[in-house]
Amino acid sequence: MVQTRRFEILIVDDNIGDVVLTKEALEAADRGNHISVARDGCEALDFLRHAGKFANAPRPNLVLLDINMPRKNGCEVLREIRGDEKLRNIPVVIFTSSEAEDDICRAYDLGANCFLTKPADFDEMVQLVQTTNDFWVNTVKLPRHS
Amino acid sequence: MEESQAAKDQNRAELLKFFDLSTDMLCIADFAGYFTRINPAWQSTLGHTMEELCAVPYVDFIHPEDRAGTLAEAARLTVGMDTVSFENRYRCKDGSYRWLLWRAHADFETGRIYAVARDITERKRGEDTLRTTAAELARSNDELSQFAYIASHDLQEPLRMVASFLQLLEKRYEAVLDPDGRKFIRFAVDGAKRMQSLIQGLLSLSRVQSRAQQATPTDCAKILRDVMDDLQIAIAEAGATVTCDSLPVVMADTVQIAQLFQNLIDNALKFRRSDATRIHVGAIRGADEWEFSVSDNGIGIEPQYFGRIFGIFQRLHGGSEVPGTGIGLAMCKRIVERHAGRIRLESTPGRGTTFFFTIPDKKSSA
Repeated sequence: MVQTRRFEILIVDDNIGDVVLTKEALEAADRGNHISVARDGCEALDFLRHAGKFANAPRPNLVLLDINMPRKNGCEVLREIRGDEKLRNIPVVIFTSSEAEDDICRAYDLGANCFLTKPADFDEMVQLVQTTNDFWVNTVKLPRHS
Repeated sequence: MEESQAAKDQNRAELLKFFDLSTDMLCIADFAGYFTRINPAWQSTLGHTMEELCAVPYVDFIHPEDRAGTLAEAARLTVGMDTVSFENRYRCKDGSYRWLLWRAHADFETGRIYAVARDITERKRGEDTLRTTAAELARSNDELSQFAYIASHDLQEPLRMVASFLQLLEKRYEAVLDPDGRKFIRFAVDGAKRMQSLIQGLLSLSRVQSRAQQATPTDCAKILRDVMDDLQIAIAEAGATVTCDSLPVVMADTVQIAQLFQNLIDNALKFRRSDATRIHVGAIRGADEWEFSVSDNGIGIEPQYFGRIFGIFQRLHGGSEVPGTGIGLAMCKRIVERHAGRIRLESTPGRGTTFFFTIPDKKSSA
């Protein structure tokens, strides 16, 4: 199926290095995506709710959400997204350095669509992002939004 | 038959002897709150003379915090309720306090309370120490799991940055890097990845305690089949043949026993010689335990390394020869010891190695 509209991805990550790597990997996977970045949980929710400087922010088709962040962490953001009827159907992929069982359980309890641990190897990172991109952009059916 | 006076006297003398000999503190008190008779154990325990103890109301010797409770207990006695197990603190001559455990009964005809007190100060101290130790242990366990979390997350992140950006550097600037430049980057990436696997090794070692499960009936034959499924690629690559005796069901932490077999077989596969690798898993019933063995016909180990081999991060082979972090056998040792078993090895260099471990079998009464 040909993607007719731009696919909006929101990366939520406080580590600028990770943001750069994820963007690099996403761009290597698919140049047709539009990528936005929020630097912590509060910014992510502002972005999703078009608050403040994000008044014209696009609605993401997919959120890549880190867990450990200042101000508001990924789990808190996820809880708010799932509790907000305007946002709850946005797919959220947890994308974190953590492999901790507690984090994995909590993320799924809160309604994460999947949990991915960032690989240490850049090639593996590209591959993982590519697989994720293929799945969420080209494979799954997502609800339409006006 | 009437008891003769002589027999009565003898009986009385005997009881008196016991009264004087008792290490427990025996006493008679009146309803007014005074001791009327006490045995010598009082003096030897608290240091006050008998006269001192009988001169003032007994409540004067009781720790201020325990007075109200003691008076309430005494009130219950005067309405006919026996004291079965009551604790309070008595002041010694030197000002310190000792914990006493009481049994008492009131006799309404004579208006007296008969009571026995036992000095339980040492037991109380033991209980306090135990409580403090348990609290410390809980705190140190919390710190450990905190450490495990930090290791699984916070320490990985900077390493990932180092490795990934070096790789990105290599990709993006491949054209301007000479072979040396590319080699240096690879060394740095290897170092970061190695550091990461060491951290993961430490983490999995710490999980032997923190993720421990209750012992359940564990079918070792089934576990070995599962482990061989997991290792089938490595087994095929090594062209190895794995055989086993009939293996028992033991009471153990199933996940950890699987890990144990996996590490030992993995080890046998890694340290193979070039010719056909054979691995055998055996089990022999001992008096109150099973002794398992995992033997191979691999490169073997020099005896002088037998002691070192179970240490954390101990490796006998360089990373370029055999991959590994030196955590596998340390983990085996920890798992076996957590099950109150022993692990050892026999080996002939160039011929092969056998690891033996025991798992206690508590069903012997059945």
